[in-house]
Amino acid sequence: MSDLDLSSAVRRDPRREWILRNRLHPEHAALAATGAASPAEWLGPNGVTRRDPRAVGFIGPNGIRRIDRSGAQHGAGATPGARAAAADNRQRIEIDDPAFVIAVVPDLPGGRLSSHDRDLLGLARRLADADPTAPGAVVAITFGEHRESDFGGAGVDRLLSLSGERFSGYAPEARLAALGSVEQELTPRHWLLPDSTLGGGELGRRLAARLGERPATGVWQLETAADSDSGWRCTARGAAGSSDIVRPLPRMVLALAECAEPVSDTLHAARPLEAAHSLPEGLARIEDLGEIAIDPAEVALAEAEFVLSAGNGIRDWDGYHDAARTLGAAEGASRVAVDNGFMPRNRQVGATGTWVSARVYIAVGISGAVQHLQGIERCDKVIAINLDPNCDMVKRADLAVIGDAEAILATLAERVAAWRAEQETRHVA
Amino acid sequence: MSPEHAPLRSGPRVAVLVSVGRHPVTGRPRRADQDARAVELALGLEQADTRLLHAGRHDDDSDSALRGYLGMGFDSLELIEQNADADVVPALVEALRTQSPRLVLTGAHAETGEGSGMLPWLLAEALGWPVVGGLAAIEKIERDTATLLQALPRGRRRRLRVRLPFVATVDQSAAPARQSAFGPARRGGFEAVAKESRADELQAVWQVAPARKRPARLKVVKSGSARDRFKAAAAKSGGGGGKVLEDATPDQGAEAIMALLREEGVLR
Amino acid sequence: MLETILPVLLLAALVLMAIGAVRRVQLWRQGRAAPVPILKGLMAMPRRYLVDLHHVVERDKYIAHTHVATAGSFVLAALLAIVVHLFGFDNPVLAWALVAASAVMFLGSLLVARRRINPPPRLSKGPWMRLPKSLMAFSLGFLIVSLPATGVLPANLGSIVLALVLCAVVVWGLGEMFFGMTWGGPMKHAFAGALHLAFHRRPERFSAGRGGEHRSTGLKALDLNDSNTPLGVGQPADFTWNQLLGFDACVQCGRCEAACPAFAAGQPLNPKKLIQDMVVGMAGGSDARYAGSPYPGKPVGEHSGSAHGPIVGVQEKALVDADTLWSCTTCRACVEECPMMIEHVDAIVDMRRFLTLERGSTPDKGAVVLDNLIATDNPGGYDPDSRLYWAADLELPLMSDRGRAEVLLWLGDGVFDMRNQRTLRALVKVLRAGGVDFAVLGNEERDSGDVARRLGDEATFRSLAERNIATLARYRFDHIVTCDPHSFHVLKNEYDAYGGHYAVYHHSGFIDRLIESGRLQLDSRQRGSVTYHDPCYLGRYNGEYEAPRRVLKALGVELTEMARSGYRSRCCGGGGGAPITDVPGKQRIPDMRMQDVERTGADLVAVGCPQCTAMLEGVVDAGAEVRDLAELVADALATDAAPANGSAATSDSQSSRRHTEEVTS
Repeated sequence: MSDLDLSSAVRRDPRREWILRNRLHPEHAALAATGAASPAEWLGPNGVTRRDPRAVGFIGPNGIRRIDRSGAQHGAGATPGARAAAADNRQRIEIDDPAFVIAVVPDLPGGRLSSHDRDLLGLARRLADADPTAPGAVVAITFGEHRESDFGGAGVDRLLSLSGERFSGYAPEARLAALGSVEQELTPRHWLLPDSTLGGGELGRRLAARLGERPATGVWQLETAADSDSGWRCTARGAAGSSDIVRPLPRMVLALAECAEPVSDTLHAARPLEAAHSLPEGLARIEDLGEIAIDPAEVALAEAEFVLSAGNGIRDWDGYHDAARTLGAAEGASRVAVDNGFMPRNRQVGATGTWVSARVYIAVGISGAVQHLQGIERCDKVIAINLDPNCDMVKRADLAVIGDAEAILATLAERVAAWRAEQETRHVA
Repeated sequence: MSPEHAPLRSGPRVAVLVSVGRHPVTGRPRRADQDARAVELALGLEQADTRLLHAGRHDDDSDSALRGYLGMGFDSLELIEQNADADVVPALVEALRTQSPRLVLTGAHAETGEGSGMLPWLLAEALGWPVVGGLAAIEKIERDTATLLQALPRGRRRRLRVRLPFVATVDQSAAPARQSAFGPARRGGFEAVAKESRADELQAVWQVAPARKRPARLKVVKSGSARDRFKAAAAKSGGGGGKVLEDATPDQGAEAIMALLREEGVLR
Repeated sequence: MLETILPVLLLAALVLMAIGAVRRVQLWRQGRAAPVPILKGLMAMPRRYLVDLHHVVERDKYIAHTHVATAGSFVLAALLAIVVHLFGFDNPVLAWALVAASAVMFLGSLLVARRRINPPPRLSKGPWMRLPKSLMAFSLGFLIVSLPATGVLPANLGSIVLALVLCAVVVWGLGEMFFGMTWGGPMKHAFAGALHLAFHRRPERFSAGRGGEHRSTGLKALDLNDSNTPLGVGQPADFTWNQLLGFDACVQCGRCEAACPAFAAGQPLNPKKLIQDMVVGMAGGSDARYAGSPYPGKPVGEHSGSAHGPIVGVQEKALVDADTLWSCTTCRACVEECPMMIEHVDAIVDMRRFLTLERGSTPDKGAVVLDNLIATDNPGGYDPDSRLYWAADLELPLMSDRGRAEVLLWLGDGVFDMRNQRTLRALVKVLRAGGVDFAVLGNEERDSGDVARRLGDEATFRSLAERNIATLARYRFDHIVTCDPHSFHVLKNEYDAYGGHYAVYHHSGFIDRLIESGRLQLDSRQRGSVTYHDPCYLGRYNGEYEAPRRVLKALGVELTEMARSGYRSRCCGGGGGAPITDVPGKQRIPDMRMQDVERTGADLVAVGCPQCTAMLEGVVDAGAEVRDLAELVADALATDAAPANGSAATSDSQSSRRHTEEVTS
């Protein structure tokens, strides 16, 4: 396209205009993507502003031209670059003199904010920003090293990073002692922790017991309530998730995932905060001896969140075991594979075997007997790899790949291994 | 060795706190699943002198549920009778002080009532004992310490050493409880322990209703443009019929699967 | 010389036999008390032997003739020998009769010997191999020693040596036939068997000459209210005394072994060995002397027990292993085949009761299934309020709305199974086409308790049964129809003890009646080759072999029978909770059954049981399609099937026709 002279608005290129008008032209998309190349508005030869109605807007999904007056649109849609630019437009917020403090202790699995953490920070923001004239500050307290760089974007005004060897691993007592001194220093109006199995769920209950606060646990909804002391009312799951308890919001809150919308429009300061006093040294009665190596293939089926299950269609069992190891998936099997002695009985999936509730269940060469399908009812995503496109497993699957199961499995294992290696190097970097 | 014929145990004294469970589908009273797993864990300890302890109301429903624990092979269960609205923590603390077990096991959450899961932590705080969550197995118990396995997500395990006495909570990652047998359940008895019943007043103002289904979160697109928001709202949601890749090369197939695995975050 | 020795020998043998008998009775009396009409039983015994027992023995003509010759003439010869030689009645007629009886017995023993030349594997060896020789010794010995009494031979013939030899032969014969009878030799079966017939725990099994069903297959209720009754059988002495007596009656013919599907599949069960183990336990000792086929995969000689010792060890080995007891599909093939009328299934369920109710050790998925039954009234743990979800479009009339109906349609737990829902739909279609006034219990229905009971959980069975009976008592209906033979059997035969008495039809019988009375118009065109699989709980348990075949015939089906059909039908492997306890074997029972099907060349196997359907359809790469009778009938309904009776064509039947179309899919 070097023959185009874009600096001159008056010069017209009939061929180009023709291509731009002709959506079927092979070069249409490429030209349209350049956007500004097609001036929608120019000064006519006699000084009158001319508009080309065909040059503005974009073709909608049903083939009709749509005109977007916001000016953000181009024919091929926003590019990633444009999105990044939009993110930078987030409103920056500094709370210098907070009226109160909302303390949040995110789980930071793998050193980064989880979506649960972000939801919780969203909840904290609702509490902090309720009165725009006297906003509170959200203080996030982190233990050990973290790799998160977007605390501000998640809604954190102050960041109290407590680092040190004693917080690493499973150190609930040290963490509890540290939170105890934060309580004395900041006296937060609310303590917010994610109600996760290990992590916030545990630490929060420890803290509640230590502070003598009665927490609301399993909180998933928050409303303002004039009749409540805190001005808020929450809905919390009770009785192992079978009831909803509506109660005034207490000081201590353990909230479920999706308890609030995460922060996305604003960018907070996440100003580092130093602990004023040195943290107390406690006697550790619980000693972490480290994680023990467990072969993912040996993980109990009912507990596994990722299962690679094999059936009649597998011939190369070594290849299958290798793939399961590479993928880090628990091994499962159809009844037939078990009956034929290729897999042990405790690996049988189905109504007559183990009911699995994996996030992802890959069925390789399993046609899908009714009992088997019943056994995977509770799985989130089912992937079928099978030769027969008409089998019941393919009908049940969220994604089905028809073809030679062993070749696909081998390729998949290769790719996962390659991806793993790549992740490793990135971590090191 | 079957528990019912066990001789006097010389091992550590273990108290398992058991509650009245509720079947998730029908709501019928039963052994609480996690508490039953705690009992199972205790039964797996060789030579341990295990006692069951329950604080709550004794009526027909709780009787049948508590007998479920007896059916796992116990002659008796210590029953601290409390009113329906009682806060059972003070009574349990008192009972544990008198019993002075080396180890207290209990489920992480009750299946009825508030089910806040606070009880083990409150007990430990009151007794001044360490407490461990998510106990999966007890490897060994020595004079002053115990070596435990703690359950981490996805079947991973962490080894801990804890000073005795301590409290531990048990959740779904521990081994499932053995069957409750009708015979021992019928024969077993309740040893009533009298303790004052203190009412839990806070609960009085709560409104409790059967759990509502939580709305599925919509994918909110915070894009400035109406078009993006419209596209996101109108996009076909995840479910529906699955995608079928026919005549795909192994490469394409693997690629598609890989994309889904990453999207679901199961690759680590 | 013989004349003086013979009476002494006879007397000694008889005295020893009496001592042995007392000892044997003492062994049986270790068992629990059981109410048995002693005199009535003894009176009925000859008829039970000659009619009922012989009816079973007769299935093998060779052995039937052999047995008549040998046993009949032995009884006669023994009695005559006592009269002639012990009491010294010197009557040539008696002597001739004795000689004749001995001769016939000798012929019989030759036949027994022939059977033993190349014995089939099901027969026990060991002492049983010497039995024909002992029979010969007895018959030949008494033949010869009695000849002088007839006057054919002089009283004092031959040398001392010959007399001594003859003496030895007679001692051998007497030892086996008299002494061995009560001291545990092979002839024990005659003594124990006769008394077993007299004091059988199921006297209803025997014909009384008045016709009728004379069938008794429902399990006996366990008294849960009496805390002195042991919960099942944990040690041999927990059996009732007449059960112990029954075990002692076993002739080790191995017909049960040959019929047992679990044994054939290589699962660790052999009914014959199990009965012998109970005998070992009753008398105390080890199974090392057992000379028949072992439990597959379990060598003989490793197990032992005593009357008051455990049958199943907790950790250590005892009399039998738990997986032996859990291998049984309760198909009753062994009971059906047993010429001694031994009740294997009762014994197995009794022992399972102990394992479940006392030990809490129902294996594999058993505990989960029982917990589900307790908590949700169905084995799958489904929401009991979702029982009719499958029929949302069928508008099934509910008993709670109607209060009464001609037929109460018992749906069974198949409502939760997608495969069985097709059968149920077909059945509903058929009932509507026949203009049958029916209603269902809907969410008020519960599991019948069949699986719980056969897994040994009598408490859960009783709870389900009592609540079902209470529900049924609220409604009025003429009969119950169900397509599940297990529910059929339990409702018909096992609710009796809890006060539930109903007229119950299996759908095959009911459809047969509809066809016979002309209420169903069937389009009977030629179909492919079809075979029929008899469900155990319909056939052996309830004697219904003909109705399903008549229905198939009405469909125009030419039935190709499998080698094992009717009362010899082989189990699908789905009964007695066997798929739940899932004891591994060398092959699977349904696979073997499907091979039976394939051997007929049929491309369709008709069944009448949800369990059979599930098991047979679970066979990989099966050569035949599996369809329920109801489905076949529904497919063959004449398209303009209007109720036959014009006067009944009210709005009700109009709606039923509409529904008929709706069900068609």
